[in-house]
Amino acid sequence: MATTGRVSSGAIALAAPLPESQPRLAAGCRWATHAEKPVVLYPEGMIRIQGTGQNILELCDGQRTVQQIVATLAEKYGAADPAKIMGDVCSFLEALHNKRIVDY
Amino acid sequence: MTPNPLALIAEVTHRCPLHCVYCSNPLQMVAKQAELSTDEWVGVFQQASRLGVLHLHLTGGEPAARTDLEELIAGARQAGLYTNLITSGLGIPETRLPKLVDAGLDHIQLSFQDSKDGPAQWIAGAKGHAYKIILAEKIRQLPLAFTVNLVVHRQNLDHIEEMIEFIEQLRPDRVEIAHAQYYGWALKNREHLLPTPEQLDSCMRAVEAAQTRLAGKTRIDCVVPDYYARYPKACMGGWGRRTLLIDPSGRALPCHAAGVIPGIQFDNVREHSLEHIWQESAAFKMFRGDEWMPEPCKSCDRKEQDFGGCRCQAFLVTGNATATDPVCSLSPDHHLIEIARAAAADAAQPTWFYRAGV
Repeated sequence: MATTGRVSSGAIALAAPLPESQPRLAAGCRWATHAEKPVVLYPEGMIRIQGTGQNILELCDGQRTVQQIVATLAEKYGAADPAKIMGDVCSFLEALHNKRIVDY
Repeated sequence: MTPNPLALIAEVTHRCPLHCVYCSNPLQMVAKQAELSTDEWVGVFQQASRLGVLHLHLTGGEPAARTDLEELIAGARQAGLYTNLITSGLGIPETRLPKLVDAGLDHIQLSFQDSKDGPAQWIAGAKGHAYKIILAEKIRQLPLAFTVNLVVHRQNLDHIEEMIEFIEQLRPDRVEIAHAQYYGWALKNREHLLPTPEQLDSCMRAVEAAQTRLAGKTRIDCVVPDYYARYPKACMGGWGRRTLLIDPSGRALPCHAAGVIPGIQFDNVREHSLEHIWQESAAFKMFRGDEWMPEPCKSCDRKEQDFGGCRCQAFLVTGNATATDPVCSLSPDHHLIEIARAAAADAAQPTWFYRAGV
């Protein structure tokens, strides 16, 4: 958790990833298949991850930085605006971080 | 066609070194000689996985009282199940913990009874608090998900903030603040466990403050105890809808407490396949769907949300398993819950019924 960007905004502690964060699935969270669809299993249940979310999360190997993930996705989607991709990736990862499914 | 179950609760033993006054085990427990063998359990896990189950919850009693726990975990992982261990930590020496992880354990849920040694021992009827703290530190160093479970009630809610701060020091991924539920041993001790409305309010405030403070670090879940809820909980996500429980002797039940309801025949995995039990057994069909429902449930627009609440609670409080869950403010029996709350408010210093040994 040493790389977590912790920004204080009033009483609410935000924990958005930084461009240099290296996201990965949190301990005890893993990919599986359910009803022929990819899911991530975690202690309380499972979450269906498809489409863009799947593309993002599959790149989260604890090695690639958020910046590298965004660059890979920008290349994949051609014309898409990297700043917008950065925003989307960060909010996606932050939501999963709050569920303790992703660490960075 | 009934949808497949998603979770299997395996009560692998009723043996336990603790005697918690709110234990959810039945008053009549299964002896060691009657427990399923390693191979029988692994066979159940394989069947469960083929049936579509994703999550296995290894519980007890204290599941670590099984000397073959490593083999059970390995068998569950090989069957493809996500494997949770619900434990007091006692029976897991520090040297055993890495073996459980190597066997494939995904998640460990460690219970605490309090933040302080004396009150924890008073509730558990046994020592163990100091060792749990040591074990929590070891768990944190291993690659698995870590949840701390804390049961809260009238006797410890006055220092809820201190208990949350204590748990925070253990650095779990998740905290489950669980209000005691009144089945089994907890029902016998209900008048000393039911919180006051003031305690409940301050608990919810303390939890919300901690959720904000620990966002992104530790996730905290807490559910309103159902004696103070307006509507009942969707017990087990509905009877026979998502979950099945196998007791130590192989009996298949829709929930922890269903054995209290008279007149139900529970099939055993030693005699029937899990698929047959799930699809065909009378016990699982009994309260599935809404055929069995009385009014006001049957015409209630919440019946798809709470499924009429808890059948065991209906039986334990009203004597009738097909009654509307009396915690519902719409139940004609709701006054029984109000009487229980009033009795708790007048209760003197506790004399506990400690959970018995097996």
